[in-house]
Amino acid sequence: MKDAIYPQVRVAPERLLNPETVEQLLNRLAANPGIRRILLKGQSIPATVPYGPARGAVNPHSRRQTIRVLGEEIQLHTHVGMIDMELETDEVLPAIRAACEEVFTKFTFRIQQGRFMKTKPTVSDYAKYGPNADEILLGLVDPKSRKGPVILQGYR
Amino acid sequence: MAYKPQYGPGSTVVAENRRKYMNPGYKLETIRDVTDEDIVLVMGHRAPGSAYPTAHPPLAEQGEPDCPIRKIVTPTEGAKAGDRVRYIQFADSMYNAPSQPYLRSYLEAYRFRGVDPGTLSGRQIVECRERDLEKYAKELVNTELFDPARVGIRGATVHGHSLRLDEDGMMFDMLQRCVLDKKDGVVKYVKNQIGEALDREVKVGKPMDEKWLKAHTTIYHAVVGTAYRDDAEALEYIQRIHALRTKYGFMPKE
Repeated sequence: MKDAIYPQVRVAPERLLNPETVEQLLNRLAANPGIRRILLKGQSIPATVPYGPARGAVNPHSRRQTIRVLGEEIQLHTHVGMIDMELETDEVLPAIRAACEEVFTKFTFRIQQGRFMKTKPTVSDYAKYGPNADEILLGLVDPKSRKGPVILQGYR
Repeated sequence: MAYKPQYGPGSTVVAENRRKYMNPGYKLETIRDVTDEDIVLVMGHRAPGSAYPTAHPPLAEQGEPDCPIRKIVTPTEGAKAGDRVRYIQFADSMYNAPSQPYLRSYLEAYRFRGVDPGTLSGRQIVECRERDLEKYAKELVNTELFDPARVGIRGATVHGHSLRLDEDGMMFDMLQRCVLDKKDGVVKYVKNQIGEALDREVKVGKPMDEKWLKAHTTIYHAVVGTAYRDDAEALEYIQRIHALRTKYGFMPKE
């Protein structure tokens, strides 16, 4: 199945999401075995002030929190605004839509289908993972970051 | 006949608001009462109550050269005292914020003296002498030009103008300088404009509701507000300017 192309979807809510909302949604989505990979995207929230006169000062931010998904702790580094997913088949789509409708009650959302994740390793990926990189890891984490992806093993 | 400025074209409420805010004859509606001390705290240039540091001796003491322009122009209070030049910077959300960067620069140039406004795509900075700045900043925060949720006082890391709003209606702020208190619904600044923690919270009032924002905004927005394409007069004006500029590029000869 090396050359298999899995369908991908993007959930784009009308508002940037609170950590509690992300937690609720992910717990509904990640329990679905038809979803292979989930990528949280959003504006970065750094732990310290990155530039300006206060550079280096601690940056307490209520959106930079640790959430719990299927028993695993996930530290959010972003204010989540998009959720990209790779699916086993298109049949999971109604379940994703149902989960979104359940969680996004105060604002609207859109589910888009297309290609949203990296398909080939970049130079940075090559430098970090080498020539035999596991394709499932590509695009899930910034290769320059020291953090790895979170692997949920709840349903397998 | 004396020249009467028209300020800008447009037949929608957005255009009307732009004209109103730019017109120094229009008295801006005061909506909140943020004190002088609070403004000084949020700007973070000096400790409240401390003396104004100076960049040069007061004008009366330093002996001005014999200059005809200096005789015509009366110095502002800050210039007279030799204050430092300091700034305040605002980021305005494109989701119906009452002000927007270009308008801010226009209205400051029309309304205030001795200012140096700088316009950028999603933020606007205004520099002037410190004690003048505090007076102007108070007017910019306390009047209808400001909304606690859709406008941010941000000296650095200003990103937020073009982003979707937070679930509670606040504009994104990487440094979360202000937070919406869920209990009383009031927005409180917990950091100064560059992101340093404040000793005490500064309350800037409750966010205005959507109806008020839509009626007071100066930003066209096709989805949440007034679409630019709905403003026939503004569109006609911009098309005329565009046509004239393009033709002039070919140096037409009559």
